[in-house]
Amino acid sequence: MSAVLHAPPVTLLPWLVAAWLFGIGLYGIVTSRHYVHLIGCLGVVQASTYVLLLAVGYRWNATAPIFYSHPPGRAVDPVVQALVLTDIVIGVTVTALLLALVLQLHKRKGTLDPERVRPMQP
Amino acid sequence: MSPRLRRLLFLACCALVLPAVLHVAAHMPRFGDHSMPYGDLINAVALAERHTTNMVSAINFDYRGFDTLGEEMMLLCAVGGATVLLRGSRGETESEPQRVPGRPIIARADSTVLASRLFGAVVILFGLYVVLHAMTTPGGGFQGGAIIASGLLCVFLGEGYPGWRRVAPSELFDALEGGGAALYALCGFASLVMGLPFLQNMLPFGQKGDLFSGGLMQFENAGVGAAVTGGFVILLIEFLEETREPVPDGDEEGDDP
Repeated sequence: MSAVLHAPPVTLLPWLVAAWLFGIGLYGIVTSRHYVHLIGCLGVVQASTYVLLLAVGYRWNATAPIFYSHPPGRAVDPVVQALVLTDIVIGVTVTALLLALVLQLHKRKGTLDPERVRPMQP
Repeated sequence: MSPRLRRLLFLACCALVLPAVLHVAAHMPRFGDHSMPYGDLINAVALAERHTTNMVSAINFDYRGFDTLGEEMMLLCAVGGATVLLRGSRGETESEPQRVPGRPIIARADSTVLASRLFGAVVILFGLYVVLHAMTTPGGGFQGGAIIASGLLCVFLGEGYPGWRRVAPSELFDALEGGGAALYALCGFASLVMGLPFLQNMLPFGQKGDLFSGGLMQFENAGVGAAVTGGFVILLIEFLEETREPVPDGDEEGDDP
């Protein structure tokens, strides 16, 4: 605990922002009363992983990992950027899949409230 | 479980986990000032080894190309699943654009039509530019495909539903989505046929910093661009189609007892 109090604030900030986004998104999912709202909260949880990954790959006084106009040198980590880049696109399509499921639910049950959806009977 | 109890349980769990989160945050590698061996290695060697100046593309399409194949399949599955769910309830037949009762078609302002036509063309061109410049400057199939799909959505804004369906026939984008993913997979099999490991980059790498450098990565990038464009446009088509469907009288309500 004392390490938290003595660390310089800017070095802690990215990790705490990622943890906060994850927590607040999860809180929204747990207390959600509407499936579209729930999917939005899932997007917030997903955003926490982007903050975490990009913070891991950051480096002070470094350039982007694009060596078109200058020779290779001190640059930020390109690996996490590649991960985040593909994940954003996949995340959008998975969100669309979830929204399609929600549309079907609304057609069949007439409700979008997780509290009012009963488990399926065999 | 009542919502109140669930909220209390969640907050209790948060209080339990919080010390661990703070402990981990305090002992993470120092922000912006720690070693990153994998990234540094690629930054140092990729330009010489693969002749691409964009390290992110070199990772996506070459060093971790197999990962991207998996992501391509995730894209295909998500788009396929959403399409089956939406189209399955409507039926496969290509229906004429129908009007929803009680929802009048409002004439668009001339300025909206003009702005959409101008911006639509520019955005699609910019998307193609981003896809083409994957190997040299920030860009690539993932970003460019999303931009092209957004440009096509401008057509819907400006021309309305009939104009949108004329420029976005779903067969074309079905083919782009599947064909793009297939092109990526076939790049891997092309290496196998030549007796090399899967997805080994066996084409000449070209000149450093050239638009068409990177060898096999060019084809993988084109495949990803086509798949992302196709996938996004299919999703747009299916969701827009859903808003056009007229509600049959008394058909939907009778399902739930």
